[in-house]
Amino acid sequence: MANPTQISPSSMRTATTSAGKRKKRVSFAPSPEVTTALSMSSFFARPLPLYLSAALLRMVFLLYGLWQDANSPLKYTDIDYLVFTDAARFVAQGESPYARETYRYTPVLAWLLLPTTWDASVWFSSGKVLFAAADLVAGWLIERVLVSGDGGQGTPMEVATARKYACIWLLNPMVATISTRGSSEGLLGVLVMALLSAVLARRVALAGLLLGFGVHFKIYPFIYAPAIVWWMDRERIGSPASRDKLGVSGPETLFGRIVGFVTPARVQLAAISLATFLGLNAAMFMLYDSPFLQHTFLHHITRIDHRHNFSPYNTQLYLASAFPDLSAVRIESVAFLPQLALSCLLIPLVLGKKDLPTAMLAQTFTFVTFNKVCTSQYFLWYMVLLPLYLPQSSFIKNKALGISALALWVASQGMWLQQGYELEFLGKSTFLPGLWIASLAFFLVNCWVLGIIISDVS
Amino acid sequence: MRERITFIQKLGDSLEPSALKVTGSGISGPEVRAVREDRLTLALDELPTELHTLLKGVHELHIRWVSPIAFETVSPLLARLPPGLHLFYTPGRTSDTTTSDNLCPALVKTFGNIACLTPAESFTALQNDRFSHSTTFQYFQPLESLSHFFSYAKGQLCPASDSSCATRLDSLTQASSLDVSYDTISHTLKITALWPYQRQAIQATARSQIRTEVGVLSSEIPPSIEPHELGISGLLTVLGQDSKPSATMFTFPSRHRDAQSGFSTKFLEPTGLHPTLQIQLDSNRPPSDDSYCSAHAYFTLPRGVFADKYQLADDLFLASKNLTALRYISQPVDLEAPEYVMKQWGSAVLLELSPPPSSEKAQPWTAEIPLHLRYLSPAQGGYANIEVPYPAVFWACAAEEGTLFPNNPFERVNLGYDGLFGPRTVFWHVDPHPQQQQQQQQQQEQKGSVVRATNTIRVPVLDLDKAQWVNVVTAITVLLGFGWVAWKLFSVYSRSGHQRVVSSEPNKDKKWQ
Repeated sequence: MANPTQISPSSMRTATTSAGKRKKRVSFAPSPEVTTALSMSSFFARPLPLYLSAALLRMVFLLYGLWQDANSPLKYTDIDYLVFTDAARFVAQGESPYARETYRYTPVLAWLLLPTTWDASVWFSSGKVLFAAADLVAGWLIERVLVSGDGGQGTPMEVATARKYACIWLLNPMVATISTRGSSEGLLGVLVMALLSAVLARRVALAGLLLGFGVHFKIYPFIYAPAIVWWMDRERIGSPASRDKLGVSGPETLFGRIVGFVTPARVQLAAISLATFLGLNAAMFMLYDSPFLQHTFLHHITRIDHRHNFSPYNTQLYLASAFPDLSAVRIESVAFLPQLALSCLLIPLVLGKKDLPTAMLAQTFTFVTFNKVCTSQYFLWYMVLLPLYLPQSSFIKNKALGISALALWVASQGMWLQQGYELEFLGKSTFLPGLWIASLAFFLVNCWVLGIIISDVS
Repeated sequence: MRERITFIQKLGDSLEPSALKVTGSGISGPEVRAVREDRLTLALDELPTELHTLLKGVHELHIRWVSPIAFETVSPLLARLPPGLHLFYTPGRTSDTTTSDNLCPALVKTFGNIACLTPAESFTALQNDRFSHSTTFQYFQPLESLSHFFSYAKGQLCPASDSSCATRLDSLTQASSLDVSYDTISHTLKITALWPYQRQAIQATARSQIRTEVGVLSSEIPPSIEPHELGISGLLTVLGQDSKPSATMFTFPSRHRDAQSGFSTKFLEPTGLHPTLQIQLDSNRPPSDDSYCSAHAYFTLPRGVFADKYQLADDLFLASKNLTALRYISQPVDLEAPEYVMKQWGSAVLLELSPPPSSEKAQPWTAEIPLHLRYLSPAQGGYANIEVPYPAVFWACAAEEGTLFPNNPFERVNLGYDGLFGPRTVFWHVDPHPQQQQQQQQQQEQKGSVVRATNTIRVPVLDLDKAQWVNVVTAITVLLGFGWVAWKLFSVYSRSGHQRVVSSEPNKDKKWQ
């Protein structure tokens, strides 16, 4: 059971205080600010200080966690990590990872964590080290994408400035906490960033591999496929000759458009990602049979998510699951419509070609906001893309807007957490109206923020 | 068909033979403080056809009901179980599944409101390889009374001519526990009822075609007794056959003994969705100095509440709750499903407790059991109650090498926990002494002056009284959010289309290479 109360929204705070470009302009003026500005820019001038601090931050958290686990009955380590490592132990004994109840992931994750089963107890934490390392790589990829200036509408960014934005991810205590507690979401972060940078670098085969693997790993990255495919038009990827032939003077018939849409790059991406996804699934199915299908994929279709979470549908689903015959429409089967219409169709269509990273951010934000289940771990999914959007965002340009958005996001979430606390720990029946209203309010705030993100793309 | 009626008094309370009046029609005597146990043994062909057919496909079946109202009992009738209806079942060795298919409907017919669909769906399996002497399946559910069973039995078992049969069944409504046991080895059905330790008159009536033996007994410690034995002495009479009671005294090794201490349990407030059950024990002194003993609590948890075996795996966490280890938990336990979709009865849990080191003087101590609630069905008012039966609490001590426990006249096997221990284990039972709780005081006003061996948790659920707008308002809100985002997308599209707005600065677009 995911516990949404564990994570503080501190990353947003970091986002608004790291004031990117403004610091550069004052660097000639001899004022008290200069010293901080200088030391700030010298911190970001070379890669070592930032990445070393990010690594140190995680190391401190990791060691603190070891200490807390050894000395307190309240554990720092996430329950999910115990699930992963138990599954890895089953694999090490030649059994199926699905022998561990509630293991709902690809066997690849258990394989990656095989070192945690090695004899010496220090190895037990190796999975956390892996997740933390994935954080750092994701941060480095953020920096690279910002520097290339490829994705967004922005021009290539100076490395030091790029690092300032990357530190929203790298030095974010929430991100560091989640990975050092042993949650695998950090791996998703690096996968998605690697996918994005492979696409922007026009490495189609690599992008296909990453997309196929990402979907196999956690399903949701499939939403990126339409945006990436849409983005990959002949103007961006294709030989100059074919561009001249079709792009400039081709007749605007429907057939012509369809033929024009099917580019070699698009076909290659579709083929490779599909082959990777299906190949991995076929291999896993051969190894672990139906438990693999059941726990990795089918579970997400059949699960009854009654436990309270941030999703606006939660109260309705609780009602519907208890009285399945009463509701005229099956909410479970209708709820995905607005979610997928926005995140897989409309956002990719309108934003994909204009600004791929922001489109992907909006897609992820929509997917999480409109999902039937929403816990704070899911916020990490869009947080990794935030540094790519923030430089040109209204939230940075208009401080008042930025602060009020953050305040509303925090307040509505806080309202929900307070109601959740009363339910979970005090046993008060806050399902109605408290939790329900709070989740709807949080949903509306998220939609409002989403609207601003979309409007920022021009 | 034969019957055995036993009154058992405490040590030192014995009755002179002259106090008993034996006549051709029965036996009577003064009021004594005693436990009464009646056991009726029936051959298979003496049963109604329906029951006969059902039992033919059974290898072993034990149905045990224990009253939720706290009661006192005496040695050697100490083998405690959590209150409720327990069922232990091993199907016959044939491939014919008729009995298993018919078992649940038969239970519903006999005991009333039994939430059992089929053995495969509702029962939990006991691992037979490990615990060779346990049954294959287990089932449990809280059950307030056997009133449904009695009205069923009156219709099925009592001949219309025999009014004494109905009278006997009526007296059973005062019993604190009832066992119905059948196994293919003895080919007999044993029905055993127990009335708690209380003042009651010695009285039994002879019935035709039934051999009735009446014992008026008390605990005894003869000089020759071995440490692992119990002693019993008293008077035995076979009704209609003996003209006066004959004195008897015997000793036997007993698996179930009296630890001579008590315990109570309560939920720590606030209970929330993760209630902690606290067991308060009077004494941390093991009952036997000569052998290795460890304290245990055995729970049968209804499906609304469960223990998480993964949480109970960390030594540091266990130690902080005065627990040693989770010794057994029936499998599987779904950690996520709401109560209303569960088909399995619930779960059985055996925990070893960790008493503080014992000193000269016995000290009270506590252990805490972390539990978790499932979501319950929405209800009016926003709360629903779950009643959790008291556990059986005992010290399990290793008997001396070579000790055998042949069946004694008061033996009770297949209790759920006995099969989880080795054959040379002695169970020293700690007596449940429920404290009156606030909730119980409220219930008392309705149910008379009784103390229940259960704890009630008030579980927050979705309040149906406030639910009428949920569907409409949720749908409107989602559409509002959707509309807003779609509108923003449309504005972007109508402003600048879906293509990239190429920057006015030349040579910035390095894609054209």
